[in-house]
Amino acid sequence: MKYQKIGQPVRRREDARLLKGQGRFSDDWSVDGQTYMAVVRSTYAHAFILGIDVEVARSMPGVLTILTGDDARLDNLAPIPHSPLPSTKHDMKLEGPNGSEVFIGDHTLLPTDKVRYVGEAIAIVVAETLAQAEDAAEVVSVNYDPLPAVTDTAKAAENGAPTIWDEVPDNICVETFFGDKERTDAAFAAAQDVVEMDIVIDRVTGVPMEPRAALGDYNLDTGRYTIYAGSGGSVRQKREIAEVLGVEGDTVRVVSKDVGGNFGTRNRLYVEFPLVGWASRKIGRPVKWTCDRGESFLSDYQGRDLVTRVSLALDDAGQFLAMRADNLSNVGSRMVSLSPLSKGSGLITGSYDIPVAYLRSRAVFSNTAPTNAYRSSGRPEVTFAIERLVETAAAELGYDPIELRRKNLVSSEQMPYPNAVGMTYDSGEYAKSMDMCMDLADWRGFETRKKEAESRGMLLGRGFANYVESSIGTPREQAEIHVRADGHIDLVIGTQPSGQGHETSFAQVAAEWLGVPVNTISVIVGDTDLVKVGGGSHSGRSMRMAGTVIVKAADELIEKSKKLAAVVLEAAETDLEFHDGKFQVVGTDREISLYALAEVVGRRSDLPEKLSVIEDNVMETPVFPNGCHICEIEIDPVSGAYKIARYTTVDDVGRAINPLIVDGQTHGGIVQGAGEALGELCAMDPESGQPLAGSFMDYHMPRADEYPSFKTELNEVPSPTNPLGVKAGGEGGTTPALAVLVNGFVDALRPFGVRDIQMPVTPRKVWELIKAGS
Amino acid sequence: MKAATFDYVRPASVDEVCRLLADAGEMERKIIAGGQTLVPLMAMRMSRPDMLIDINDVNGLSEIEDKGDHLVIGGCTRQRALERSEIISKRLPLLAKAIRKVGHIQTRNRGTIGGSIVHGDPTAEISMAALALEASVLLRSVSEEKEVPLDGFFEAAMVTNIEPDQILTEVRIPVWEGASIGTGFYETASRESDYAIVSAMAQIELAADGTIVKAAVSAGGVAPCPLKLRGVELALKGSKPAELSSALDGLDEEIDPDTDVHATAGYRSRVARRLITRAIEDAVSEAKNERD
Amino acid sequence: MKEIEVTLTVNKRVHTVNVAPRMTLVDCLRDILRLTGTHVGCEHGVCGACSVMFDGEPVRSCLMFAVQAEGHEITTVEGLVGEDGEISDLQDSFWECHAMQCGYCTPGMLISSHALLMENPSPDDHDIREAISGNLCRCTGYQQIVEAVKMAAERRQEGL
Ligand code: FES
Ligand code: FES
Repeated sequence: MKYQKIGQPVRRREDARLLKGQGRFSDDWSVDGQTYMAVVRSTYAHAFILGIDVEVARSMPGVLTILTGDDARLDNLAPIPHSPLPSTKHDMKLEGPNGSEVFIGDHTLLPTDKVRYVGEAIAIVVAETLAQAEDAAEVVSVNYDPLPAVTDTAKAAENGAPTIWDEVPDNICVETFFGDKERTDAAFAAAQDVVEMDIVIDRVTGVPMEPRAALGDYNLDTGRYTIYAGSGGSVRQKREIAEVLGVEGDTVRVVSKDVGGNFGTRNRLYVEFPLVGWASRKIGRPVKWTCDRGESFLSDYQGRDLVTRVSLALDDAGQFLAMRADNLSNVGSRMVSLSPLSKGSGLITGSYDIPVAYLRSRAVFSNTAPTNAYRSSGRPEVTFAIERLVETAAAELGYDPIELRRKNLVSSEQMPYPNAVGMTYDSGEYAKSMDMCMDLADWRGFETRKKEAESRGMLLGRGFANYVESSIGTPREQAEIHVRADGHIDLVIGTQPSGQGHETSFAQVAAEWLGVPVNTISVIVGDTDLVKVGGGSHSGRSMRMAGTVIVKAADELIEKSKKLAAVVLEAAETDLEFHDGKFQVVGTDREISLYALAEVVGRRSDLPEKLSVIEDNVMETPVFPNGCHICEIEIDPVSGAYKIARYTTVDDVGRAINPLIVDGQTHGGIVQGAGEALGELCAMDPESGQPLAGSFMDYHMPRADEYPSFKTELNEVPSPTNPLGVKAGGEGGTTPALAVLVNGFVDALRPFGVRDIQMPVTPRKVWELIKAGS
Repeated sequence: MKAATFDYVRPASVDEVCRLLADAGEMERKIIAGGQTLVPLMAMRMSRPDMLIDINDVNGLSEIEDKGDHLVIGGCTRQRALERSEIISKRLPLLAKAIRKVGHIQTRNRGTIGGSIVHGDPTAEISMAALALEASVLLRSVSEEKEVPLDGFFEAAMVTNIEPDQILTEVRIPVWEGASIGTGFYETASRESDYAIVSAMAQIELAADGTIVKAAVSAGGVAPCPLKLRGVELALKGSKPAELSSALDGLDEEIDPDTDVHATAGYRSRVARRLITRAIEDAVSEAKNERD
Repeated sequence: MKEIEVTLTVNKRVHTVNVAPRMTLVDCLRDILRLTGTHVGCEHGVCGACSVMFDGEPVRSCLMFAVQAEGHEITTVEGLVGEDGEISDLQDSFWECHAMQCGYCTPGMLISSHALLMENPSPDDHDIREAISGNLCRCTGYQQIVEAVKMAAERRQEGL
């Protein structure tokens, strides 16, 4: 089928306001009489709270109220019902040690027993101005009884580590085995070669440029709470806020319009959102809270943090026989989401046909901020592990790394391909993507470029990685389509964009199906009074889930309208043809547009129906975006300073609805992955558990002058699992970037005896490796 | 965070500034010029002055004057003005080269030369260039005005020899008149626009026969504060560029690098050696080109 | 703390406001003048989201106090739009090139690129990347922003 609107680089509708400074981000909302909240946060990583003295603070200028965990308890505020266990049909299911139920633990808004990480909220101050609230928060005095703390992932799982939750004395809250132990053991025993690596993927954080913010407005007359707060999906926020506040769902309205980046960090509820609602009820005035950057470094849900030991068994011809992995994920001090562990568990074998595998997946508590899905949840970690492992196997066993990969790649003929741990890859042309990417990267010209760099005293390294990732996500989505007589169509949907351009790409899909111009479709998201159902935006689900349900709703709308059009045009339904947004009686010039029909329907009492449909869709089957990335890195051996000289990608996102948007997603994804490979790190003092990265001065955010322009292309292989053939385009940039870059550094530094480098690869680390090896 | 509360005044004259500083008593009164270092500290409440004295409206603090053998630059001269100044690029090529590496355009638009010097960041490019060229600063208080050489002005990281009652009104930087002068500047940071971990600068004058007649060399990140490498300069003077390598023989005695979160002492001294060499080499070849 | 009266010009309109000395310029723009186009991403002078033109030069409005703006002229992203509400050629290139995703950094990016083009009408990739290196963007990977600035420059050169 040839599409007219789908696949076009349509300008984004949302940009019309964003370009003029007329976006509406969370902190842009203000209501009359609003007050401001500041949060008192723990300065200890682990300590009993003996008492909180608020007397001095209470008497400070402008202070309206100070509330602690005791107050919250008196008011029966419930813990946040996070539901951290992935539970859709195709998720890898996790369980506690020895098959027990996973211990989750209460995520109390303001704990009264003990603090479990630096930055945990323990009290709130509400004042007339934010500066006054901050003045008072500074003098709230908390009496702590410090406890030993542990932040490091491996150490938290060791015997004798400090216990975060009494219910889980050894901190290990998940232990699940996947794959086939016996056959894996047998394959390893029979193998010609075994290569093993220990891999650490450290803690990073999402850093959306817009800090979190929430404005709570409790209406005394109606008893309703309105919370203006950007997130990854208002419907979920509303449900959980209501549960925390102990009220019926519809007593809470959550409004979010523009969201300044998410990357997973905003998917789950944060304590501050119900807190502003509660505080507003307590003082009878609206309460606004805006996170400052330092606070967000402490209290945003963070990402990655996986250690693993992986090993690969090969026969004498380099055929992969089996794989083992032992993944340990750090959930932080409170269990918010196990998505990263689960997602990664399903993809440990990567793009390769490895007949058997055995995997242990564990999760551990620690005295750190909770972790959550972070852009491409779980997949960059396991992609890193397998691609580093394959690269190392090639180097150590004397294979050409490209040939070794080719030999073991899952082929198109094997699709749909069930991997050794239970995921079934839907479609893809892995080998073709490799070829395309190598051509695009001028693979053959590398040696010449390397010589040229060497003539300038520089080292040039080349990195390569394949990847396959999964998009599962909440399976249910709902779309409403309302045709308005004024020539517009409203499309209501329950995803929440934070830059992905849903207002445009969804409109493209609806416009395609309804044969109307893209700009007549208004996509409505984010206000729970208008959007009742919706799965939010995460796991690369939005385009696929929404696209599918929009198509379904559009078909339904056409069906329904046809009946009405037949009445209005006084023709038989079978004589009607639908095209370009109108019904025409075949062979005549009698026609009526959807809008005209809406107008007639609205007017005529014998046609009581509105031109509206609500459609639900449940789609469980996951899709598997995939591709190949290549980079070149130039290193100055004198200082260890380096620059990324080239970066090339070929991605299979399934069908691309708007290539401009997909390109942008790829670029942004690459840089986000590269940031972690090159500099980002939530460093923590191992003794005290104090975070050492608390501002942009000590957290290395990627900047424009660090990167070249990338060459990106698509190899669109439509997914057979949904009518549009969509996979996902948001995570592919990030998923292999860590592996590609580290492979590139190791390639350049192998002459110095370097086998592996732990991220982030800083100039100093590079220099030290060169020094040690020369 | 929002800054802690403070009083704000905007005097029109240096005398008034000095009086306000002198009357501080127990209070902490701080001068704000560009604010590019001070305001972030205040926003994190790591600095909480009782009063800010804004000197942006004080007359005569932002002129660049050519006095023949030296330039006089007002303490409140914006870094961006230095970058755009023709006098600077002609007369102080080393400063001109360094200035573009200071922060970002937005911060250079507010940040001042005086602010950069009084804060004493160990790798601040402006301080290094000024120090290498044997600049001095003019400090005023109610009671006196004195010229203080920059050599010795920097005490430790972020600590300089300015008293709480003094204001830096001028920076005086000697101008080299020779026909063949070249400059070199290298720094290594985690990336380009970050604070440098190690940096090196050199300005060299060659005689007609290629002998080095004058050398100014400084390094950053190799001691708690910017360092003028007098030993290296001395060794360079009178030598031929071919003998360059031996000029750095005494380097280790001159520098005193520290290990911190960014780099080890070993990294700093090894990298410094290479960067200093490169800076001198660049300066020499630039000087040669000038001559030819 | 006593408030101080400040008169400043924002987007060609003169405003007189009362502010506490510790109120930053960006808070004044956003909270008092309700010009919420200028964003706050850090409050400590690194991210560039708060960039505005101050007397014709780009600065970070979180690193200035509102009292310091007395008598000065400020242009925010809202002021880049023409009198008639038409977007500028630079904004149009941003639009065409998909130079924003979430749009949070966009006002700052526009200010920095606007300033660049005033000073350097034909920047190359390196110039552009340097000019926006003081503006953090978490979404775009910067590439489409670079393309947009280049497009605007080229169109100006061609007199389009
Ligand atoms: S908010 Fe001003 S630089 Fe980040
Ligand atoms: S577009 Fe989201 S931060 Fe730049």
